[in-house]
Amino acid sequence: MEEKLLSLQEAVSQYIHEGDVVAVGGVGRNRSPMALVREIIRQGKKNLHIVGREKGMDFDMLIGAGCVRKASFALVSMEEFGLAMNFRRKAQEGEIELDEHACNSVITSIRAAAMGLPYLPLRGMLGSDVLKVSKSLKEIECPFTGEKLVAVKAIKPDVTIIHAHQADKYGNIRLQGSPFEDILKAWAADRAIVTVEEIIDNEEIRSQPHLTSIPYIYVTAVVHVPQGAWPTSCDSYYDSDRDHVMEYAQAIKNPEGFQAYLEKYVFSGRS
Amino acid sequence: MGDYTIAELMAVCLSREIRDGDRVLQGLYSPLPMIACLLAKSFHAPNMVYFNTADVIDPQPREVPFSTAEPALQERAVAYIPLWQTFDLAQQGKLDLIFLGGAQVDKYGNTNLSAIGPYEKPKVRLPAGAASAHLCAIMDTVIWVPRHNARVLVERVDFITGQGYLTGGNARGRAGIPKGGPQKVVTNLGVLDFEPESKAMRLVSIHPGVTVKEVKENTGFDLLIPETVGETPPPSAEELEFIRTIDPHGVRELEFH
Repeated sequence: MEEKLLSLQEAVSQYIHEGDVVAVGGVGRNRSPMALVREIIRQGKKNLHIVGREKGMDFDMLIGAGCVRKASFALVSMEEFGLAMNFRRKAQEGEIELDEHACNSVITSIRAAAMGLPYLPLRGMLGSDVLKVSKSLKEIECPFTGEKLVAVKAIKPDVTIIHAHQADKYGNIRLQGSPFEDILKAWAADRAIVTVEEIIDNEEIRSQPHLTSIPYIYVTAVVHVPQGAWPTSCDSYYDSDRDHVMEYAQAIKNPEGFQAYLEKYVFSGRS
Repeated sequence: MGDYTIAELMAVCLSREIRDGDRVLQGLYSPLPMIACLLAKSFHAPNMVYFNTADVIDPQPREVPFSTAEPALQERAVAYIPLWQTFDLAQQGKLDLIFLGGAQVDKYGNTNLSAIGPYEKPKVRLPAGAASAHLCAIMDTVIWVPRHNARVLVERVDFITGQGYLTGGNARGRAGIPKGGPQKVVTNLGVLDFEPESKAMRLVSIHPGVTVKEVKENTGFDLLIPETVGETPPPSAEELEFIRTIDPHGVRELEFH
């Protein structure tokens, strides 16, 4: 096992490249890898294809900051604070390519990649216009039963970014609470960058291997970033910072407000 | 109307759609379904199984959170179950009901959460439908609409994100969908269902203080009105007390501001 501890700056500059397919961990405003999102914006990465299920501020920020060429998603929303306005503007202006999914089709696309397959069949979606307009979904017939199914094209992430609870310096990762699709995303990707609340000793990992959610073989870099999911939640460490999420949702109502937000919290603010 | 809010009445109406023993999934940004599930399990459906986007089954939260995937919604759960496994159950036919919303809902219960206007060049790009497009084709759904008006309840949705009865009649069957579909639509004005043959939306009951005329005027298509339209039974004192205890911060009112 080799040591994989890097700084945020090193991890992003070494392992996220222009044009990469990037799977983003977390759901809604829970355990999004926000410190990594801010670093990607600071480094001005471009043409990314971002992938996630039900996303919020993380997708909206990356899209608003001009980092994204394509998004695969089942939802991008600020929940009770309304529409994700950067996403809305860029989508309406045709500045990003939309690969719209249902929750399970985007998850299935990741599962296919994790299984080393070009696609997987899915039951459901028939009759939806999401299926009609999609380039990633195709109606198929089961070769055994003749049932109408949907083939979901694999999405192979170049890199997966996750915020987790604990890791050792070799990249054995412990997640607590909801795993969401983070483990699948790590399995599917060529590289995974994981920020963690705490670095723990390898002996502690070995004393309770059943607590290891993602073993080091899937992990490329570990970055110690306490509060690395802020302002989204990190189960058992902190809740989402609802006031800040509301401030963000207000700021994105126009592009100037978003730029001011980036200046304050990304370019000159906390990591 | 009595001493309760429309949000409280709608939460109770949604809970009444849950049968004892049902396996029910509550999604993201679903404050009323979250409360409805907790209500049903504490009152008439103790054997229902409550799945949610916080990736757990059967939680017993002391207080409901603002975001319906937050850690507070995992409290005293019996197990974590990642959503992808819940979807696996749905594909096996072992999930019974999900509550879904829609920026537009049409006469046949199709919902649009994708785009207003042409899809490629929309007037408003919406957030997309989360689980809708997948689950609406394999199971029963109940749709909730906090603002019943003619812009939301339309003749035909601009884009079918979540499948209702498509063009009505047996259109689902012709599309290869063997079962499921919207059972009820619960709005801030009343409760609606779908006429069994045509699958067109039909008024079932109006909420206390609402008139049939008001419902018709606020619906963008010719709604089926049966000869007798009942009044929605109000929440009981016990149900109201339960709602107000688990939701002291008014999460249920989020969609009504």
